[in-house]
Amino acid sequence: MELNVLDRDYMCSGHVGCPGCGAAIAMRFLLKALGEKTMMVIPACCWSIIAGPYPQSTLKVPVLHTAFETGGAVASGLRAALDTKGDTETTVVTWAGDGGTFDIGFQALSGAVERNEDFIYVCYDNEAYMNTGVQRSSSTPYGAWTTTTPGQEWKRLRKKNIVEALVAHRIPYAATASIAFPEDLVRKVQKAKSIKGSRFLHIYASCPTGWRIPSEMSIKIARMAVQTNIFPLYEVENGVRYTINYMPKGYLVREYFKLQGRFKHLTDDDLEQIQEMVNEDWELLLRKAGVAMSAAGTVA
Amino acid sequence: MTQQAISQTVSPPLIPRSSTTTESNKTGSWRFLKPRYDEKTAPCSAACPAGEDIARVEMLVAQGLFKEAWETILQENPFPAVCGRVCFHPCERACNRGEFDDPIAIHTLERFVADTAMRYDLQADIARRPVQGPRIAVVGSGPSGLAAAYFLARLGYTCDVFESMGEPGGVLRWGIPPYRLPVHVLEWEIDRIRSLGVEIHCNHRVSADFLRQARDRYQAVFIGCGHHRNVDLGIPGEDLDGVAEGLPFLEQVRAGNLPDLSGRVAVLGGGNTAVDVSRCALRLGAKPVIVYRRRRQDMPAFEHEIAMALEEGVELMELWTPLEITPHPDGYRLVLQRMAVASQEGPRAQVRPAAGQTQELVVSKVFKAIGNAPEESWMQPPEGDARTLRLANTALVELHGGPLVVYGGDLAALEKSVTHAVASGKEAAMALDTYCQQGWDAVESRISQCRVGPGPSLSMEMYLGGDRCRRNPHVVVFQEINTDYFLYAPRLAQPRLLKEERVRDFSEIDLKISAALAIREAERCFNCGVCNQCDNCRLFCPDLAVCRDDNPQGRRIDYDYCKGCGVCVVECPRNAMALE
Amino acid sequence: MKKVVEGSHAVSEAVRLARVDVISAYPITPQTHIVELLSEYCSDGTLNARFLRVESEHSAMAALIGAASAGVRTFTATSSQGLALMHELLHWAAGARLPIVMAEVNRALAPGWNIWTEQTDSLAQRDTGWIQLYCEDAQEALDTTLQAFRLAETVHLPVMVVLDAFFLSHTYEPVDIPEPEEADRFLPPFQPAFCLDTENPAAFNQLAPPNAYMEMRRSMQDAMESALDVLDAIEDDYERLFGRRYGAVEAVHCDDADIILVTSGTITSTSRLVLRQLREKGEKVGLVKMKAFRPFPFEALRIHTAHAKKLAVIDRNFSFGAGGIFAQEIRSALCNLARRPLVFGYVAGLGGRDVTTDVIEDIYWRTKTSAHPEAESIWIGLHQPAPAA
Repeated sequence: MELNVLDRDYMCSGHVGCPGCGAAIAMRFLLKALGEKTMMVIPACCWSIIAGPYPQSTLKVPVLHTAFETGGAVASGLRAALDTKGDTETTVVTWAGDGGTFDIGFQALSGAVERNEDFIYVCYDNEAYMNTGVQRSSSTPYGAWTTTTPGQEWKRLRKKNIVEALVAHRIPYAATASIAFPEDLVRKVQKAKSIKGSRFLHIYASCPTGWRIPSEMSIKIARMAVQTNIFPLYEVENGVRYTINYMPKGYLVREYFKLQGRFKHLTDDDLEQIQEMVNEDWELLLRKAGVAMSAAGTVA
Repeated sequence: MTQQAISQTVSPPLIPRSSTTTESNKTGSWRFLKPRYDEKTAPCSAACPAGEDIARVEMLVAQGLFKEAWETILQENPFPAVCGRVCFHPCERACNRGEFDDPIAIHTLERFVADTAMRYDLQADIARRPVQGPRIAVVGSGPSGLAAAYFLARLGYTCDVFESMGEPGGVLRWGIPPYRLPVHVLEWEIDRIRSLGVEIHCNHRVSADFLRQARDRYQAVFIGCGHHRNVDLGIPGEDLDGVAEGLPFLEQVRAGNLPDLSGRVAVLGGGNTAVDVSRCALRLGAKPVIVYRRRRQDMPAFEHEIAMALEEGVELMELWTPLEITPHPDGYRLVLQRMAVASQEGPRAQVRPAAGQTQELVVSKVFKAIGNAPEESWMQPPEGDARTLRLANTALVELHGGPLVVYGGDLAALEKSVTHAVASGKEAAMALDTYCQQGWDAVESRISQCRVGPGPSLSMEMYLGGDRCRRNPHVVVFQEINTDYFLYAPRLAQPRLLKEERVRDFSEIDLKISAALAIREAERCFNCGVCNQCDNCRLFCPDLAVCRDDNPQGRRIDYDYCKGCGVCVVECPRNAMALE
Repeated sequence: MKKVVEGSHAVSEAVRLARVDVISAYPITPQTHIVELLSEYCSDGTLNARFLRVESEHSAMAALIGAASAGVRTFTATSSQGLALMHELLHWAAGARLPIVMAEVNRALAPGWNIWTEQTDSLAQRDTGWIQLYCEDAQEALDTTLQAFRLAETVHLPVMVVLDAFFLSHTYEPVDIPEPEEADRFLPPFQPAFCLDTENPAAFNQLAPPNAYMEMRRSMQDAMESALDVLDAIEDDYERLFGRRYGAVEAVHCDDADIILVTSGTITSTSRLVLRQLREKGEKVGLVKMKAFRPFPFEALRIHTAHAKKLAVIDRNFSFGAGGIFAQEIRSALCNLARRPLVFGYVAGLGGRDVTTDVIEDIYWRTKTSAHPEAESIWIGLHQPAPAA
């Protein structure tokens, strides 16, 4: 990573994220890439707490905390206001969790990107309502335990494919990124910054607390999600041009699942079924990207 | 009322608007586990008889810091240009990268670093103590003697080196053919040792009396004369005129006195000398055949040397041993006995004659190269009641009425190799210094503090209290490497002369590599256990608790904020951290 | 310049004159005319503002929260269901002390679907921290809208300008529309007390723990309490420039009145007619028009009603399980006075049912002839007799 990016931070120590918080790491990387001419809109999410209570703020850029479902709309209004003030330099970023993006904030997000509002919407995805104590969201993956999908009621529904939903809006830029791949993440943020119109970044941000993993595994797990095709790294321009950024080498999803307490109830049969789902999704993505299947490490 | 006046009647709004940093929250109080920098020992370093800090050397090469890399080697070994050519590089066998794809080409990189220093005539800046009073005599200017003098000089001693031959270097000068080690390379290294104030007295043969007389002039004597006496075959005809010894032949070649050879030439033996002799003979026009009583895999010679010899056209007769040598109109007739493997136990197969199977071999010349022994008995540690301390590669003897004598090199080393000779010289220097400063009883424990990993390799940098002292002796194993940070990459192939070019003359076979290739190869290195400033710890810290610092580590952990998540430790690609 | 315009467009003209920067709205009858005209003004350059055509009222308010946080002047309009959908963000806008101005056209809430006028939608938002000003006619709608920006920006609270559906929003009346230069003299450019600024980064609206929250709420109340004085001062300026003023409470013939009708919105206009007719008959009747509902004009109300024997409060709204909302608030405003009038609460005109002069006169006579209110709320004009509330 370029040293100037490595050395600049717009976040302070002393924030109240859990140990090993992937969302904190994601924010660090985002702001490294964006710099000080950035305004953050943060709807209700873990970061509403992490950022610190009044009168503290852990970020060194302006932050507008806002209601849960308003990420897309508040950013639209903020951008419009800056436009009327002649400020074209500042980048407006909405920073929302998966609940605020996949669920309650989806309408405002869809509305904003349909209008092609000129801002970057970042969903840092920890796959459940973590701030409220690990309740399932439509981002919670198949197989996961949460406090609202306990015991044998574990989630038997697939995770919503949010990127494809956004791609369907034909926005100028949509991409996935992972905290385990900082260079890729920073590059995508900088690329997004250079584009006008609605840009969407889906950042995989592990949650040691909610996933029941040791905090030191935070990055490792995020990396495995990419290596196993569970969370492929790719970008889509103008809703049609797909580029896959990482070609995995055939890691089994089993390895990823077995490290996490939230999946400990799954049987071998369940895991096999999940492997098939992951393969299916991956093959679909490959078809969209126009990549020949044989070249791309699908796990048999 | 004006708008301003109206506004003044209204109190300013109180809203949650915050610009105070969160730094007053000392989140370090949440911590249960504590990460810290904990540099460990790379397996290559532990496997290197000279204990070179290889992981650090490769880190510096990868950063393009070639001079610093060279100086890092010189901390532990006065002969990087020599060892970069002739070392049997056990480091590469130990390399963790070997379990990933292929080991790092450590040997080639060592030579690259030294040759770069030679090319630009760099002056090394290495730690040394000021010169003190005591003088030490060194007998023999081979690798162990020169290494002992080099390290002793750095420890502040004045050394006189006594060499019976006309020029210094011992086996390096006389026993290794120029296509493996050009003489100017050796001379460049010796010049640097001389520049430390080491006096080398050539043509100065030392006798047994010397030890008795040395007491007046020297605090101690290091004996590292090597093995020069040839061992007999014990078969009829071995004393025939023209049945030659291997080592003198190599000396002859080194001296530039090149005999004409032709036809088939027999070389008896399986060690490095046998291989060197046969390859020299090949270059002088002969068709050499190595006759060895065991199998190829049992030969003490380095495997890569055997392979190159065969490639060049040397013939190998395995499991044959000579029974007699007789004159023959075309030279000599050898009667060879077929051998059979009797047992696989031990490092080399045990063989016995296979009854009734013999053959004759007619050759123009015979070379014996079956081993060597010390020339004179006083060159070996005495048996008996003298106070003796045997270390890994040296033996210390307190002679009655004489100075302390340290036997080193081939006389005492674990294995006969140039690098073991260097290790022996280093161990001797440490032992002598400790003996002079703290006495006999302190020697063993002081030396054990300088072990690289579990030993027996020793570090002079550690002896001198350098940064390496902080290293954990734990040797990093492959499973402790975070291989997610490494991509498969082909190992650097050592460029060499074509075999057709090689056999024409005595030109050096291995060719130089470019800096770009060296850097690329060094970048493959895991740098096991050694921080290479990759900054992953700082990059991934969710709490921004890893800061740059002026300390040798280059960074520190701010425990005011570190929540002890341990991400830095897991994401350290090379196990240079610990969580406790 | 006098022009005959509908009430909705009177609001639009005021927004134009306020040189609003960002407008965000979602269509709902009967508010749509307001933003349709503004949309035209934005597209033809008459108004240099960004118009965000968002996907819901909720997002309309959210977008204005974003825009106002950057320190620009903002406007939206809505009605009924739309206002209800915004509810959460009404709290947010007020708590964030953003001077957003909203035109709210009173419309009854479903079900069943009803697009006609009723005040329950806006009155249900009384605890959100918004200033609420109820308008009687198109001129007042224009004047109040223009004043609302200055009021909001002075006290750092959002203002809701409330209009009756159709009776006001869709009714054409002659309206004196100020010239832009005159309006500029009245309403200077917005100077925010605080806003998002990359040069001076701060976080807004984040976690406010118990040790900080209560003071912030108190600060909102302080602002509310100052708002009536501020409105008065603003009206002084307005009157000087344009010759019109309204007051938070308007009292007509109250000094000698035994019975005072208390109204808001367009019912006031009808009541003025009834008042004139009754006065001609020698009835000692007065009229109090409630323009400000938040902040509640306690002082003015007490002064104007203290001498009366009875108040007849006409509510075109209802709080189920309690009563007409104005009546409740008026009762509570007077309850600690040693001498106070009886408060008769009448509920009339829900869901847009006509409140005619006959209805109002009926209310007067019922009040006069009753020694005591027959019920907490007296429902007027029901087709079937209702059980006593």
